[in-house]
Amino acid sequence: MIPVGSLLSADSLHKAYGQTPALDGASFSIHPGEVVAVMGPSGSGKSTLLHCLAGIVTPDRGTITYAGRELSAMSDAERSALRRTEFGFVFQFGQLVPELTCVENVALPLRLAGAKRKEAERTARHWLERLEVDDVAAKRPGEVSGGQGQRVAVARSLAGSPKVIFADEPTGALDSLNGERVMQLLTEAARSTNVAVVLVTHEARVAAYSDRDVTVRDGRTRDLEHAV
Amino acid sequence: MTLLDQKKAPAATPPGPPGPTGFAAWLRDLALGIRFAAGGGREGWIRTALTAVGVGLGVALLVTAASAPHLLEERSARSQARAESAVPGGPDARAAKTDTSVLRVNAETEYRGRTIDGWLMRADGTRPALPPGVARFPAADEMVVSPALKELLDSSEGALLRERLPNRITGTIADSGLVSPGDLVYYAGSDTLTPDNGGHRIAGYGDPSEGEEMPPVLIVLIIMICVVLLVPVAIFIVTAVRFGGDRRDRRLAALRLVGTDIRMTRRIAAGEALFGALLGLLIGAVLFLVGRQFVGHIEMWNVSVFPSDLVPDLRLTALVVVAVPLTAVVVTLAAMRSVVIEPLGVVRGGRNRRRRVWWRLLMPAAGLAVLGLTGRVDEYSPVNPYPIAGGAVLVLVGLALLLPWLIEACVNRLNGGPVPWQLAIRRLQLSSGAASRAVSGITVAVAGAVALQMLFAAVGDEFTRMTGQDPSRAQFYTFSEKVDPGAANRTIEQFKATKGVKRVIGKVEVYVTRPGKFSGDDVRPTTSLIVGDCGTLRELAQIDSCKDGDTFVVHPRNDKEMSNWVDQTARKGKEVEIGAGLGGKPMRWTLPADSPTVTVRRDPMGEDSWGIMATTGAIDPTTLPGAMTQSQIRVDQSVPDVAEYVRNTAARIDPAMRVSSLTSVARDEKYASVQRGLQVGATLTLLLIAAAMLVSQLEQLRERKRLLSVLVAFGTRRSTLGWSVLWQTAVPVVIGLVVAIAGGLGLGAALIAMLDKEVTDWWLFLPMTGAGAALILLVTLVSLPSLWRMMRPEGLRTE
Repeated sequence: MIPVGSLLSADSLHKAYGQTPALDGASFSIHPGEVVAVMGPSGSGKSTLLHCLAGIVTPDRGTITYAGRELSAMSDAERSALRRTEFGFVFQFGQLVPELTCVENVALPLRLAGAKRKEAERTARHWLERLEVDDVAAKRPGEVSGGQGQRVAVARSLAGSPKVIFADEPTGALDSLNGERVMQLLTEAARSTNVAVVLVTHEARVAAYSDRDVTVRDGRTRDLEHAV
Repeated sequence: MTLLDQKKAPAATPPGPPGPTGFAAWLRDLALGIRFAAGGGREGWIRTALTAVGVGLGVALLVTAASAPHLLEERSARSQARAESAVPGGPDARAAKTDTSVLRVNAETEYRGRTIDGWLMRADGTRPALPPGVARFPAADEMVVSPALKELLDSSEGALLRERLPNRITGTIADSGLVSPGDLVYYAGSDTLTPDNGGHRIAGYGDPSEGEEMPPVLIVLIIMICVVLLVPVAIFIVTAVRFGGDRRDRRLAALRLVGTDIRMTRRIAAGEALFGALLGLLIGAVLFLVGRQFVGHIEMWNVSVFPSDLVPDLRLTALVVVAVPLTAVVVTLAAMRSVVIEPLGVVRGGRNRRRRVWWRLLMPAAGLAVLGLTGRVDEYSPVNPYPIAGGAVLVLVGLALLLPWLIEACVNRLNGGPVPWQLAIRRLQLSSGAASRAVSGITVAVAGAVALQMLFAAVGDEFTRMTGQDPSRAQFYTFSEKVDPGAANRTIEQFKATKGVKRVIGKVEVYVTRPGKFSGDDVRPTTSLIVGDCGTLRELAQIDSCKDGDTFVVHPRNDKEMSNWVDQTARKGKEVEIGAGLGGKPMRWTLPADSPTVTVRRDPMGEDSWGIMATTGAIDPTTLPGAMTQSQIRVDQSVPDVAEYVRNTAARIDPAMRVSSLTSVARDEKYASVQRGLQVGATLTLLLIAAAMLVSQLEQLRERKRLLSVLVAFGTRRSTLGWSVLWQTAVPVVIGLVVAIAGGLGLGAALIAMLDKEVTDWWLFLPMTGAGAALILLVTLVSLPSLWRMMRPEGLRTE
C-alpha cells in the first residue's frame, strides 16, 4: 500500500544474490523534502534497498513506485533517464571521475541530461560554492582531500535539481568533523530545495540528521519515527 | 612496595644487524618482490598471470623466430635431396642407362590454386634409384603420394584431382622426402615413358651443390621483415611486464607504511615483474613445445612446418632467456620513476613529469643516420645485415619512444566536445602512458609494414616481369611433346569437348626446311609450319578470308629481313621438307601457289608465329612427323572448377602435358615466398598486438569497475561509455598511425635510397593503416561485452 503523499515508496521487496537473500519483504516510503536514514548492521540489506529504490537493481518481487509510476514496469533506458534527471547520488568512495576536474564532475549529470557545457559548469560552480569547495573547482579528485571530495560529490548530486538524493554511507570514509560538515551541508541544501534524501548509514550521529529512521535487519525494514 | 614497584622496565631491544647494502640489497628486494608476487593472494596472482601469459606469448614467438635458421636449412636440405643428382661432364651431360637409372618426366600440376609436384617415372633396370622418403619404386599405374596429397585425394574436395591422378596409391612418401608436411607430391610409375616422349634419364637423387644465393635486395627485405615483425614482439613483452601495474602500486603503498623506502619499493616492484617474466619464460617454453607438437597440422597460406624443423638456435634462445627477465627489471624500474607511492595507501596519480622530446628524437635520428651511412647495396658485394637491422631497429624503437610525448602533447591541446569525448580526453590527459604503451606495438608494426611495402614496390620490378600474355583472350596454355600421329587433333577435340571451355586455339607445329643441298657454311632455310582450323589461324595471323583447304605465308610485322628468311623456305608452288633431321626420309609437301601472304598477329601467349600456316584440309596434321601440339584455351570463368576440368583433360591426353595459366605478370618464386613469409609473420604479430591491446583495455576497464557502476547509477547511457572507450582507444591510435605513416615513409625512403632505387608509390601506407584501424575497432568491439559487464550495479556493492 502506498502511503499518502509519498514521493517514493516500496512494498514487500524481495531480492536475493544467488542463494543469499538481501531483501526479504522490505518496505519503505519517503515524502518530498524528507530525510530518511536507513540504518542497520553490515550486510543487513540497506545498500540493496537503496539500489532497488534508485532503480539500479531490479527486485525479484515487490513494487516500487516513484511519483505514481511503477519502477519495475520501466525499461532499463527509462530507469536510466529517471536516474539522470530525477535522482542524485552520493556514495562512500570511488564516485568522482578521476580524470575530470571537480567542476566537470559536478557538471557531468547536467551534461548527461543534455545541458550545454558552459551552462552546466555555471550551475556546477554555484553548487560548489554552496558546498564551500569552489576553491577546488579546477582540481582533479586526486588532488583534493577526502572531505572536499565528498562535498564535491554532494554538489554533484544536487546540481541536476533532483527530487531524491540517494546517499550510501556518505561520510563513511571521513573523520567525524568532516562527516558532520558534509551531513550538515547535504541536509540543509536538500531541505531548502525540497529534495528527499534516502540516507544509508550505520552511524547514529549521521542518522541524527534525518527526519525519520528505517532500520533494516535480515532484509526486513522497521520504521521508527524520529524527532530532529 | 607494590608489585608495580618491582616491575622493571624491559631491556631495550638490541639493534638488529644492519640490513644488506648494494648488490645484496638488490637481491633481497628482488626476492621479496618475487615472494609477494607468489604469495600475494588472488590479486597478486592475477597480475603475475597477466604478465606471465603476455611474456609467454612473446617468448613463444621469439623462440619460434629463433628456429627460423634451422628450419630453412632443413627444408633446403630436403629439397636438394630430392633433386636429381648431377651427371659428370657439364650441365648438358645425360645420365647413362644403368641398372639403377630412371627415366622421368615432370608432371607437375595445379589444383585449386595449389601446386602439386609430380613425376612420371620408369625404371631402366632392376634396382632403380628411389627418391628420398619412397620405400618402393611405383610400377605402372601405381603411385606413391605425400600424406597431404593422400588426404586430399581421399576427401570429397579432391574428387576432381582423383580423376587426374587415377593411379593406385601403393605407399606414402616419408617426411625425409618432403619439404613440409603440407607438401603435395606424387611419384607415378609408367611403362610407356621413353626419351622420345619427354622422358629424361637421371642417375640418382641428391644435389650437393650450394643453393642459389639470395639476391642482396631480397636479403635486405628479409632483414627488414625480421626487424618489423620482432620489434613489436619485444615492445609487446615490455608492455606485458607492466600489466596490472596500478593494482601492484596500491599494494606497494602498504609496504611504504612499514618502512620501505622509495628505492626498495621500486626494487620490490621489479622483483614482482621479474617473477612474472620468469614465469612467462616458462609459459613461453611450454607454449612453444606444445605448439610445436601441433604445428604439423597447421597450414597458413600454403606454408606448413615439420615439428622436427622447429629447433631454436641456441645462442638466440640464450639471448631471449637472459634479455626477457632483464627487460622486466629495467622496464619496471624505469616505470616506477614516474609513480609516487606514499605510505598512507595512496598512490598519487597526479600530474606526471612533463615528457621531454629531445632525447626521444635521438634514437630515430641515429637510426636514419646509420642507414644513411651504410652506403649502397648493390648486387655484387655481400650484404652486411647488422647496420641495416640496427638502423631499422633504432628508427622503429625511436618511434615507440616518441609516441608517449606526442600523445601527451596532442591530448593536452584537446578540449571541449560531448561527454564521451570529454571523458576520453580527460582520461588521456590524466594518464596517457597506458594508452601509449598499448598503441606503440601497432605503431611500430604499421611503420615497419609501410616501409616494407615501399621496399617491395620499389624492388618489385626486379622480381616481376610483364609476360606479354593476354589472359582476356585465353586463360590456359598447354604444351605436349607427345608426337604420336593423331595426338594433336585429339588434343584439340578433347579440349573443345571439356566442360567450361569456350574456345581452343589448337595448333600443330613442325619445322619445315627448304629441300636441296647446302654447303657447310650455308644455313639451311628453316621456318615453321603451323596447322590448325580457320579459327585458330585467325588468332595467329591477320587473315580476312579463310576456308578449309587454304594455306598462308605469314610474315612478321615490320621486319623485312625475317620476312625474306621466311620466304626462302615458304616458296609458293614449291616443296618443303618436313621432319628433316629426325632420322629417316623427310616428308615432302608443296606449298600451294595461290597461298596469300599475310602479317602475323600476336597470340594470347604474347608470341608471334610466322612461317607457313595451313588449314587441316590442306595438310593432314596426323601425318606430320615430330609435331608438337600447343593449345591456348579460353574458358567460361563462371563455371566452377573450370581450370580443373581443363587440367583433367590434359592429364587424360598426356600425363606429362604442361598446363599453365596465362598471366600478364609473372613473379619471381623467391620474391613470392618472401612475401608469403611476411604475410604469415604479419598475421602472427598483428594477433599478438591485438591481444596486448585487449588485455590492456580490459585491465583499464577492470580498474574502473566501481567508477563505471557509479556512472551507470546516476543514469549514464551505455552508449556514452561505449563511445568514451572508443575515443579513448581511437585518439592514441590515430596519433600512433600518423607517427607510423611518417616514420614508415621515412624509413622506407631511406632503405630505398640505400638500394639505389626510386620510391614508386607514396600511398602504399593506406592498406596497412586500414588494417591497423580495423584492429582497433575489433579490439574495442571485443572489449564492449566486458564494459557492459563492468557497468552492472554489482560493482557498487562493497560488502
